[in-house]
This record gives sequence, structure tokens and C-alpha cells, in this order.
Amino acid sequence: MTNSKPKYKLTDKDFNQINRRSLFGFQLGWNYERMQNSGYLYTILPQLRKIYGDDSPELKEMMKTHMQFFNTSNFFNTIITGIDLAVEENEGIEGKDTVESMKVGLMGPFAAIGDSIFASLIPTIFGALAASMAHEGNPVGAIIWVVACLLICVFRWKQLHFAYDKGVSLVTDMRDRLNALTDSATVLGVFMVGALVATMVNIKFAWVPQIGKVSMNIQNNLDMIIPKLLPAAVVGFVYWLLGKKGMTSTKAILIVLVLCVVLGGIGVIAKI
Amino acid sequence: MIAWWQILLLTLYAGLEILDELQIYSSLNTPVGAGLIAGLIMGDLPTGLFIGASMQLMVLGVGTFGGASRIDATTGTVLATAFSTTVKGMSPQAAISSIAVPVAAIMVELDVLARFANTYFSHRIDHLIEQDKINYKAVERNVLYGAIPWSLSRAIPVFIALAFGQGLVQTIANALNGDLLWLGQGLTVAGAALPAVGFAILLRYLPVKKHVAYLILGFTITTLFSVLFTSIQSLGAGVAAVNKNFTAIFNGLPMLAIAMIGFALAILHYKNIPIGKPAGKNAEDQSEKISSSADNDEGEITDDEL
Repeated sequence: MTNSKPKYKLTDKDFNQINRRSLFGFQLGWNYERMQNSGYLYTILPQLRKIYGDDSPELKEMMKTHMQFFNTSNFFNTIITGIDLAVEENEGIEGKDTVESMKVGLMGPFAAIGDSIFASLIPTIFGALAASMAHEGNPVGAIIWVVACLLICVFRWKQLHFAYDKGVSLVTDMRDRLNALTDSATVLGVFMVGALVATMVNIKFAWVPQIGKVSMNIQNNLDMIIPKLLPAAVVGFVYWLLGKKGMTSTKAILIVLVLCVVLGGIGVIAKI
Repeated sequence: MIAWWQILLLTLYAGLEILDELQIYSSLNTPVGAGLIAGLIMGDLPTGLFIGASMQLMVLGVGTFGGASRIDATTGTVLATAFSTTVKGMSPQAAISSIAVPVAAIMVELDVLARFANTYFSHRIDHLIEQDKINYKAVERNVLYGAIPWSLSRAIPVFIALAFGQGLVQTIANALNGDLLWLGQGLTVAGAALPAVGFAILLRYLPVKKHVAYLILGFTITTLFSVLFTSIQSLGAGVAAVNKNFTAIFNGLPMLAIAMIGFALAILHYKNIPIGKPAGKNAEDQSEKISSSADNDEGEITDDEL
């Protein structure tokens, strides 16, 4: 029994190699059929070769296993890799079923957390900051975002070894803290959206209808209720629009484009 | 006119930005980053940043969820910046709605094409693994080849548009300032309104119902301050025009300060979430922990409920 188990122990050099490959190669092979399958194999192939030995039937078997469908957040993928390698290093090919079910079981949750944090919240918070500064011609916000992204890369680099040490227990330990962090970050996100609606949608009513001899300044009247009511209304309208069946973000963008061209063209609304 | 080296640099950027997005994600691949870089290349940083900022806000909520293709605002920004800075009569706002948005929408199709093309390399790897003697280097090469369809899917359209599109864009610009002036006006308004779509998409993804108080706070605080700051600015400008001794400078509303208020609220929120307490634990041991803790501090729970 013990003979079949691999004797290779991963070194710091291995971890660095996996991280390098993860940062620069993980998603290059992304395809519709099995998404990040080849990327996952690529990040750990040198280590698999060391664990099982070149041209062994075990290696071939595990390479096939890792070529199966895989898709998760590219900010968290090395957590799964770390847990995976800890298992394969100890159990070798006998750990195949464990590894397979672990990969399938974890990729969904990590995709969801990763997308909500790194594809939605971070771009909202830093993108909003960068954009509101860039709007005035100031590049500082964009540079702050780059710095933040480099810090995130450090975090991506560190998590592999962490996950390798802690194994599956890491996921259960981390879930509470991650959920709390995500929830708090959404508070900032929602707050920032409110702030952006008030500053970045630069349109106003230009229409001044004449009632008898009195001209009615709609924008001025609205300002007395609350400033920026029109931007808020537009956002509310699109929010409602997006709730409709078959509506996509691209369609919504095109609808707003056409509506604004028409209303702006006949002079009902204007740019501030 | 766009110089040949500018076309070359912008094409190179278009080919690299998508790889950046897939790999380290430095944020230079985002519309605002594209505006920064295209602005620098074109020698007009404010215009690039303005277009990039507007496109960034428009796609704020459009992340790549589950690997779905999304509107390619980055490529749109590159082309709009290049044409807005070189074509006469093409204002940044008009460039956003007449160039950046249509380009961004069309580019979705090319993104799909790149993702399909990579299926071919995935199959080649399958084939290589089936061999008796596996060529490991070839397996790795076929993963890295995936960069080619990705890169070309952006670089080729940008190159073609920049190299051959200038005459067409000039014709459009002339029309928008001539016979179709109303359309030009409308496009400008649309350029200013499009960020609203980004905010609405984002609100669809965020738990708005749960955090609606913070949405109202963010909107109201910022509205009041922005009106205050703008009014003071125009007052200052008015006084300065009358009195030459008046030299005080009033800046616009600093968004970082507004963000700090939001950050403080987020910290308060985080501190109020119990971590490691029974309520936050995962499902498996939740039930037993709750039952045990209910025995221990029964009095406290009834206190809370009162």
C-alpha cells in the first residue's frame, strides 16, 4: 500500500511556480466547452509530474481528471489548488475521488464569492473613485486603483500556501469572515452608488413650457423639491427596466441611448 | 490625423489589455485605465480620462459573471478617445454615444468568437494526453496558445478601425454638426446620461432592499454637498470677475471625502456583524450549537426579544 503513495514534498519553489502560472496563465485557455480546465492543469502540471513521475499511468489519469470542466473565480482558484495538492501529495491517485468532488464542490461557492467581491464590489468602489476623479481630468484615482490591484495580487499569491496548510477546514473557517466582509463592502458599494447618482448623471430638464404668458421652469421647480431628481428618476427607470423579462444590460444601454438621443434632440432634456 | 505610431501603440494596448484582465488584473484593462493610456498616447489626457470615466460608470455593474461575455467598454473607450482627439467637431460626449457604445456592443461578438476558438486548443490537449508518451511541453504550449485568439479578437478590430475608419468618422462628425445637428445634440445628452445605466445594473446585483438606507444617505448627502460646492464655486467666479483682489480658489466636491463617509458606515456595519457566534456558523453544526447556546444563555435571549 505505502509503495503506491508518492514521496514528493512540495517546496517553496513549487509554490512560487504555481503562483506564477496562476497569475499569468490560468485563464488563457478559457473556452466555452470546459472553461478553465486547461488552465487548472497548466498551473499544477510540473508538480503533478513530480508527484507521480513522468509517463506513469497515474499521471495520465490525473491529467485527464484535471482536464474536466472547471470554472471559478480567478482570484480564489489557488485556494482550491492548495487544498487539492495537499490531498494528492499525501494520498496520490487514491485521493482522486476526494480531489474531484472537492473541486466540483468548491468551485461554485468560490465563483460566487469571488465574483461579488472582485468583479462587482472592488470595481464599484475603486472604479467609482477613479471615474469621478478622471471626469475632471485627474488621473490620481486611476492610479490608486492600480495600486489596490497590485495589493490584491499579493493576497492572491499568499493564499495558495495558506490553503495548502489548512486544507478543507480553511473554507469553513473563512466563510463567516468573508460573508461579513462582503456584506460590509456592499454597504460601501450601495452608499457610493447613491453618491454617484447625485454627481455623475449630468442631465437636466431644458424644456420651459409657456402657459399663457407665464413660462414654467421645470428644472428650477424640481430643484426646490430635491436637487438631482431627474438623475435619480432615470436610474430608477433603468432599474425597473432591468427587472423585465429578457432584458440584458446591453439592451438597456441601447434603449437609454435611443431615448436620450430623441429627448435630447427635441430639447426636452439637456446636458448640464 | 492619427499618426502611424499611435495606431501601433493603441493596437498593442488593445491586444494586451484583455490578457491583463485575464491574468493579473492591474485595472489598466478597465475603461478608465484605457482612457488614461489612450489619452497619453493621443496627447490629450483630459479627453481620454473623461471618456474612460463615462464608460467606466456605464459598465460599473457589468462584471463577468460565470464567464459570460459582456459589453467591451475598454475597446470602445480606446476608439472613442482616438477619434475624439483627432476628428474635428467630435466632442467627447458625442464620441461616447456615437462611437464608444456601438463599438462596445459589437465587440461582444468577437469575445464570443475568442472563447470558441480556445475550445480547439482544449481538444488538442485532450489528444496529447491520450498519447503513450505525453509531450508535456506541448500540453503547456497549447494552454498558452489561448492568448492568441484573446489578443487578436481585440487588436485586429482596433487596428482596422483606426487605420481605415478616420474618413468615415469625419463624415459622421460633419453630419452631426451640420444637417443632423439635433442628432448630435441628442448624442451628447445620451453621453451624459449613460452612467445612469451602470448604476441601475449595479443596484440589481447589490442587496438594495437590505441596505436601502445607505443608498438614500449616499444620494442625499452628496446631492446637498454638490449643490453647495457648485454654488460656492460659481459665487467665487462671480466675485472674482468683479473684484480683482479676490483670489480665493474654491474646488469642486472631493469624492474621496464622500467615499470616506461610506467607508466609516461600512466599518460600523462590520463591527455589528457577529463572527464566530452560533448565528454565523455554517449549516452543519448550526442546529446543535444553537440548541446548546439556547440552554446556556436563555435569559439573555428573552431579554433581547423584549
